[in-house]
Amino acid sequence: MKSFEYGDQEISHKEIMFAVPSMVVGLGILTLPQRIAGSTNASDGWVSILGAGIIILFFVWITAKLAAQFPKMTFVEYAARLISKPAAITITLLFSLYLLMFTSNIVRSVANVAKDYLFERTPLEVLMLVFFLVVIYGAAGSRAGLLRLNLMFFPVALIVLILILLFNLKHFEIDNILPVFQTEWSGYMKAARESLYSFLGFEIVLFYIALMNRTQKAPKAAMVGMTLPILIYMIVYIVVIGVFGNQATSQIIGPLIDLAKEVIVPGQFFERIESIFFVIWIMTLFNTTAMAFDVSIMALNSVFTKMKKINLIFITSPFVFLIGILPNTFHEIMTIGTWISYFGIFFSMLLPALLFIISKIRRVRGYG
Amino acid sequence: MHRQPGKRRKNRHSPQSALSYEAAVSADVIENINHIKQILQSPSDLTVRVFTFGQKKLQCGTVCIDGLSDRSLINDHILQSIHRLQYSPELVSTNMTADEFIVVLENEVLSAHHIEMTSSLDKIIGSVLSGDTVLFVEGSKHALIVESKNWPRRALEEPSTEALIRGPRDGFTESIETNTALIRRHLHDPALRMETMKVGNRSKKNLVITYIEGIVHPDLVKEVRRRLESFDMDIAPESGFIEEWIEDSFLSPFPTLLHTERPDKTSAALSQGKVAILLDGSPFVLIAPATFGNLLQSPEDYYERWMVGTLLRILRYAAAFCAVFLPGLYIALVSFHPGMIPSKLAFSIAATREGLPFPAAIEAIVMITVLEFLREAGIRLPKPIGQTIGIVGGLVIGEAAVTAGIVSPVMVIVVALTAIASFAVPAYSIAISFRLIVYGMMLAASIFGLYGLVLGYIVLNIHLVNLKSFGIPYSTPFAPNLSDDWKDLILRAPIVTMRKRPEMMQTKDEQRINNGGSMR
Repeated sequence: MKSFEYGDQEISHKEIMFAVPSMVVGLGILTLPQRIAGSTNASDGWVSILGAGIIILFFVWITAKLAAQFPKMTFVEYAARLISKPAAITITLLFSLYLLMFTSNIVRSVANVAKDYLFERTPLEVLMLVFFLVVIYGAAGSRAGLLRLNLMFFPVALIVLILILLFNLKHFEIDNILPVFQTEWSGYMKAARESLYSFLGFEIVLFYIALMNRTQKAPKAAMVGMTLPILIYMIVYIVVIGVFGNQATSQIIGPLIDLAKEVIVPGQFFERIESIFFVIWIMTLFNTTAMAFDVSIMALNSVFTKMKKINLIFITSPFVFLIGILPNTFHEIMTIGTWISYFGIFFSMLLPALLFIISKIRRVRGYG
Repeated sequence: MHRQPGKRRKNRHSPQSALSYEAAVSADVIENINHIKQILQSPSDLTVRVFTFGQKKLQCGTVCIDGLSDRSLINDHILQSIHRLQYSPELVSTNMTADEFIVVLENEVLSAHHIEMTSSLDKIIGSVLSGDTVLFVEGSKHALIVESKNWPRRALEEPSTEALIRGPRDGFTESIETNTALIRRHLHDPALRMETMKVGNRSKKNLVITYIEGIVHPDLVKEVRRRLESFDMDIAPESGFIEEWIEDSFLSPFPTLLHTERPDKTSAALSQGKVAILLDGSPFVLIAPATFGNLLQSPEDYYERWMVGTLLRILRYAAAFCAVFLPGLYIALVSFHPGMIPSKLAFSIAATREGLPFPAAIEAIVMITVLEFLREAGIRLPKPIGQTIGIVGGLVIGEAAVTAGIVSPVMVIVVALTAIASFAVPAYSIAISFRLIVYGMMLAASIFGLYGLVLGYIVLNIHLVNLKSFGIPYSTPFAPNLSDDWKDLILRAPIVTMRKRPEMMQTKDEQRINNGGSMR
């Protein structure tokens, strides 16, 4: 058995394994410690992250298992066999709408952060447009190529993240972490709910597994991929708390970027590491955005089968861009982001679980 | 954007028919010769010799092109052999027909190493034009084509574009027979296949596709053959024409075929399951497919010990990065993010830029362009003057421009580093692509600083993962990730650990080390 066949457009389990963390790790990690620190004591937030992670892993398994049952079938095809065709089409269109909103939200956020850290005078719309054009170029290319980009960018971002954590170890104070397990039950729950949102995005496997050549490896690959963000979030959280303390963390909007600020490269080769960190982070943000956009186009394409992919991209992209411009303040972007997360909960957890149960009860299976 | 080469081109008319001559050989020698003369319009180098044989005064004639064919071979082995035949009557009886006579000539008289009997005038003309000699005999509707190719050839020289410190010194020449022989000298493998085809409707040059049967993936050979068969141009003066015709995407700045002048590199590629394409008249052999990683490899990596090889590889990747991104990085840091440069360095850069008339972006673009001028001039000029232009150009850029306060000294350093880095890239074809891309990166950096630069990097990577070379993704084995092939990518693992041929080539025979390396 060879994992890669000559002239192949299909993807292997490795692509799925990298697609999940590339999709999940994005903007969420920048603000996650702040959101959790408020409702938990000292470093206890990691328990919530772990708890949310375990719940998420279960749903990742269900989602991947569901899609893997129907090899080479698009989401709308197998959903139609489970829950009548009109329902499947409606859900697919909503799914696509949700991901388009998600795309526009990230495009806007990237431009906002870029304005904060790199440019002060350049208009926001221009920064958005440039980033979005690159996303469009990525989505217009081959789908397998886009998934392969994860393999190239994610390790780089991961290495930079690990370096930043390592350089911060000397600021790490063990007192900030203690005392442990002093949080109320409700605090853990609240923090877990917050971290749950940061794990969303893995629902893309519902669509991407259709491209795989051997789907039985998909559930394991997706779960292995998901453990990476869980570990990253936990480690980042503990280091952030260790360096800044719980009190300060809950006040800083982007603790991870502040963590990068603390870094002093030996030999002082570069200063202002947070800018470099953000520049590298744009690569993972690109992956997240491009995949979200690509999957929404894929969903639309599975409904409007006669349309060309490139035409769908040209039709949807102006709307995505305009929706991205709409919010006025960073606060509004965050609010919209929260609303999108609610949809995310439905599409990544409730919907796959429902479909999975139906497929088990009605014993519907794919042809593979 | 990525076309399937050869698919869309429809053969609306066949130019072949306008250039071929259906006529057959006639029984009359003079008529045949006149026919050839008429088709070729009796050029000055067409040499015709008509003579008679024996008591019956049987008329014979030879036709060849002077300068392409070996005179002494024609004299000694064709004309003299036939003349001597008169003194050995046991071979020729007087009542022999012309057809019988020509068979005797072919089998027993002429001592050339390759003789072919034909009745097609088209084929005869093709052979004569490629340096063979044709022999007509009165009364026979067949003619003999005697191989007598010989023309001035260049001696084997060390390849000037791919010089190595350690490694074989011989390089390909313009003659395809020499080149195939050089490959055979490296591979005595009976499974080495060489398929010949003619390319160019008018040039009708020989082209050889070579591969090792049993290693190469059969689909790859099929695909190469299919694309080459679609070649539909008048002439093919250099393998660059073939390359551009059969490459996967002509919109890409990256070369998707490797070209080399080195037989050792070619034979190593063949043993990895690749296909080589040789064109008569070009010392550059094409190797397909090529990935990004291949283009940063040099045969020397394998000739030196593995640690050195690994170091060289890492240096080359760093050089490739510098060649593309260094000027952009300088522009971004100096004009957008001076805060990111360490304060002391920032001060000294600011001090040197004091009073300069142009922003860093303009400065960089102008300087890189001047550098390109110098490079071009250096290639065009004869070698002794080439060095002079180097000194003059270096002085103008390095000294005078700085003293005159037009450019900053740091800029000169950046430009020089970029140039050195691009020379460190072993494949010239990708080094010139880098020279092209550097402009894009400078432009991105001069408008959007680091943000633009990283977006440029992303765009470059999107392009690379979408690009294919003969069905193999260009970015293999980075992505798709083939962990076994990483042994021979940025690192060059010890050869005893490279037990298998590259996974990406999907070779039929996977084992490179057969007995599990019993030497260890």
